[in-house]
Parts: sequence; C-alpha cells; structure tokens
Amino acid sequence: MAVFEENPDQITKADIIVGIPSYNEGEAIGNTTVQVAKGLKEYFGELSSVIINCDNHSADGTKDAFFSAPSEVPKIYISTPPDVRGKGQNLKNLFEKTRELQAKAVVVIEADIKNVAPYWVKNLGEPLLKGAGYTSPLYVRHKYEATLTNSIIYPLTRCLYGRRVRQPNAGDFGFKGELVDAFLDSSHWTDSVQQFGVDIWATTVALNSRVPIVLSILGCPKVHRTKDPYAHLSVTFHQIVGTIFDLMKVYEKFWTRVKWSKPCGLYGTDMQDVESPIPVEVNTARLHERFLQGFDKHHTAWESIYDQTVHHKLQEIRGLGLQHFSIPAQTWAKILFDSAVAYQSMNADQRRNLLDALLPIYIGKVLSFVKKTERMSVQQAEEYVENECTVFEENKPYLMSKWQ
Amino acid sequence: MPKILVVDDEEHIRLLYSEELKEAGYEVITAESGYRLMETIEEEKPDLVVLDIKMVDYNGLDLLQDIRNHFYDLPVILSTAYDTFKEDMKAIAADFYVVKSFDLTELKKKIAMALDTSLPT
Repeated sequence: MAVFEENPDQITKADIIVGIPSYNEGEAIGNTTVQVAKGLKEYFGELSSVIINCDNHSADGTKDAFFSAPSEVPKIYISTPPDVRGKGQNLKNLFEKTRELQAKAVVVIEADIKNVAPYWVKNLGEPLLKGAGYTSPLYVRHKYEATLTNSIIYPLTRCLYGRRVRQPNAGDFGFKGELVDAFLDSSHWTDSVQQFGVDIWATTVALNSRVPIVLSILGCPKVHRTKDPYAHLSVTFHQIVGTIFDLMKVYEKFWTRVKWSKPCGLYGTDMQDVESPIPVEVNTARLHERFLQGFDKHHTAWESIYDQTVHHKLQEIRGLGLQHFSIPAQTWAKILFDSAVAYQSMNADQRRNLLDALLPIYIGKVLSFVKKTERMSVQQAEEYVENECTVFEENKPYLMSKWQ
Repeated sequence: MPKILVVDDEEHIRLLYSEELKEAGYEVITAESGYRLMETIEEEKPDLVVLDIKMVDYNGLDLLQDIRNHFYDLPVILSTAYDTFKEDMKAIAADFYVVKSFDLTELKKKIAMALDTSLPT
C-alpha cells in the first residue's frame, strides 16, 4: 500500500494515466517523464491525464528528478514504505490509484528506457480507448534477445491460455481502467509477483479476464540502461517461471479448456520506420559448459521429475557434444510440462530445487536455439519460434494427462 | 455445417476452393475483392475467412487488420502465392497462412485446426 503520496495539483480524476514504476532511477526518469508528457499532450490532449511515478522510496533523488522534469501534464508521486521493494508493489499502488482516479486507460512505461518516445504512449494507449482491454508491446528484437521469452514464457503462455501474446513478459503495457478490479481482486499475490513476476502475472490476469488483447508495434528495440542480462538470471528465472507455474494452478479451470491458439489484434501497423535490432553475441561454448555442469549436478533430480523417455533423451543430448547439440521442441515441451506438474505438489524448498534443476536445461535450450537459427534471418528465427509453439500446442494433451 | 468465406480475385482459385471445400463438408461463399468485405462478413456471418493477400485493388494484410478490428475472434487464413509477406508484421494477426496450391491438403488442415480452436468465453 502506498504510504507516501505527493499530489501537488490535487488531481482527483483522470481519463488516462501513465504509470512509471521505479527504484533508484534518478538519472533516467527525467527523460522518460518528458517523453511521456509529450505523448499525452500530443495524442490525448483532449483528455484529462496524469503521470504517476510509483516508486520504492528511492534514495537517489528519483522523486525530485520526476517532479523537476518539464511537463504540461500534472504529476503524482506515490511510494511504498522505505523497506518495501519490488515492481509488483509499485504496480499494486498504481492499480489502487487508478481505481481512485476512475481512469479509462492506463499505460505503464518503465523508467529506464533510453529510447522511449511520445508515440509509445499513443500506441499502448489508443487501442484501449477503442475497445481493447490490454495492450502488449512488440519491440524489435534480435533473435538472441529475450531468450527466456522465446523458450519458455511465450510458448507456455500461448499453449496454456490460447492467445498469441508474443512478448507477454514485457515491462511496458497498457490496460483499460476496469481491469484494475481483476488485478486488485486477484487472490494470487506471491513474493515473486511483487517482484519481477508481475509482468507475466498482469498479462495472465488479462488473458483470463477474456478482454481483447492488442499487440502494439513499437518499431524499435528497447534500449535499457546498461546492465548485465545474466547478472540476475537465476533470480528472474525463479520469479518468472515460478509465477507461470503458480498461475497454472490458479487458472486451471480456464486453460484446461483451451485448445490451440488464436492471434491478438494489432496496432501501429502504419509505422513507417522500423529499426533493425541490435545484434546480440552469444558464447555457445559457455552455454554448453553450463548445461554439462547442470547435468552433473542435477541429473538425479531430473530422473525423479521427468518422464523416463525425457530423461533418456537428456542423457542422449549430453553425449551429443557442442557441434551437434540439440534439444527438440517436443522434448523441451515435455520437460516444462513435467516440471509444472511436479511443482504443484512440492513445498517451497522443493520448488526452489526444481527451478534450480530446470535452469541448466533452459540454458541448453538457448544453446539449441542459437545453433538451429545461426544462419537464419531474424524473420526466419521468428518462424522457428512459432513452429516450436505449435509443437507445444500439439503436446498439450500430454500435459492434460499428467495434470490431474 | 461451418461456413467459409473465400476472398480472392482469381476466379479459378475461387472455383477450386469452393469445389474442394464443399466436398470436404463446408458451406462456401466467395467474394472477388475486398469491396464491402466488412458488410459481407456482418451479413453472412462466416465461421472462417480464407483471404488472398495480393488482390488487384486490395491488400489482404490491410483487410486482415480491418477484420481483426471489427471481428476480433473470426479465424482468418491468409492465402498467398509468395511467402515474402511474412516480413510484414501485419501477417501475425492471421490465424494461419498457406501457400496457394492445387493440392488443398494444407489448407484443409489449417481450416480444421482454426475451427477446432477453443477458448473459454
């Protein structure tokens, strides 16, 4: 709950809100606020709007930078108590403020995006005023970017909930005001959701609320403040994959009735200049080494979690060597399905161990993807991902047979 | 009997698709262009649309956007002679796509899948 609020313009109602979650983003939030304010003024000038910085009580001057940023749009600052952290906590405060202000549409933009532009607000916000319930971005991405999304989040979410939300874990998104009830009434508010699991949680709640979902083309890569993508891999992997597995129990009555999948709506197709993705370098030898280390450490756990045929396949894959390394889509789907099923009957420690054991296989799957797609264009690699998703859908009966 | 709307500006394709899909147990209606397509869909209420991408006066990918905006969940299968369209992001709003062929096995398979798709409402 927000215990700190500064609302200098005494705003009590707004048609559209842009929320900027943050923690120690004093350097970046000024530019983001300026771009967002321009977007609100240029594209939604006829509506009442407000920018809300939902913060984790940053100590680096985030609040001052937010309020100092030039803007013709009023601003509100809300924060968690000093000892409460997490993007999920910030978004929860945003949801509560949205309900209070009775907003029709809300756009969430992360604070540290270097290349955020005013049209992002338009593309994520406008469909919500034209009937969409939820907007999810389509950034331009290199084939080796967002490997967790390509390997786990997208195929699983699509196969479970039947809608092709290509980047369901994106930190920037939009939702219509009425959806806050579904968010705030959700019974599922775990530690992971309060942290990095919140983005996939929000998409999953929207999917289960059956609102029309629109993918908004942003036409460019998302350029964050420089950070090492693998520095917190284990933490984000646990939080995101754990959240997906948790939500499978919450929404089992929905997803067990879903067969195949359907596309989403699309917005921003008139975009003239689509940028090329920034190339991502991958060290395949290092990935292979981490898979082999994982095999040595976890193969006993794998034997107890996975179907016998899957375990045999993993042994076979171990012997392939780097040159011929491959984890077929069907094996990968069964590994994730078996993991999700086993997870449900475990206690917290066992779940942590299961996710620890799954991580090196995921790294192996990334290696497999890199090898299969190394000579492919970004477009061809995209088709490869789509085909893998179809394999997940074809194998859903396997999951159903083991679920009960 | 599921009703399929085939939109294609080539008469021989409309005839081929009609005959084969009727034989496969579907009711088939056709349109030779995208003219008044939204009205046709509103009136005829097809269960699925097979849409040509390159028509003389209409771009099938633009029509697909219109269909998604007006009929969010109506299954659409893109039908094309070339696969270069895949580079256009608009194509992801289609349920499936097929490359035009006199052998309609793939099209029939995709139609069956699209009609078999179920999402709780």
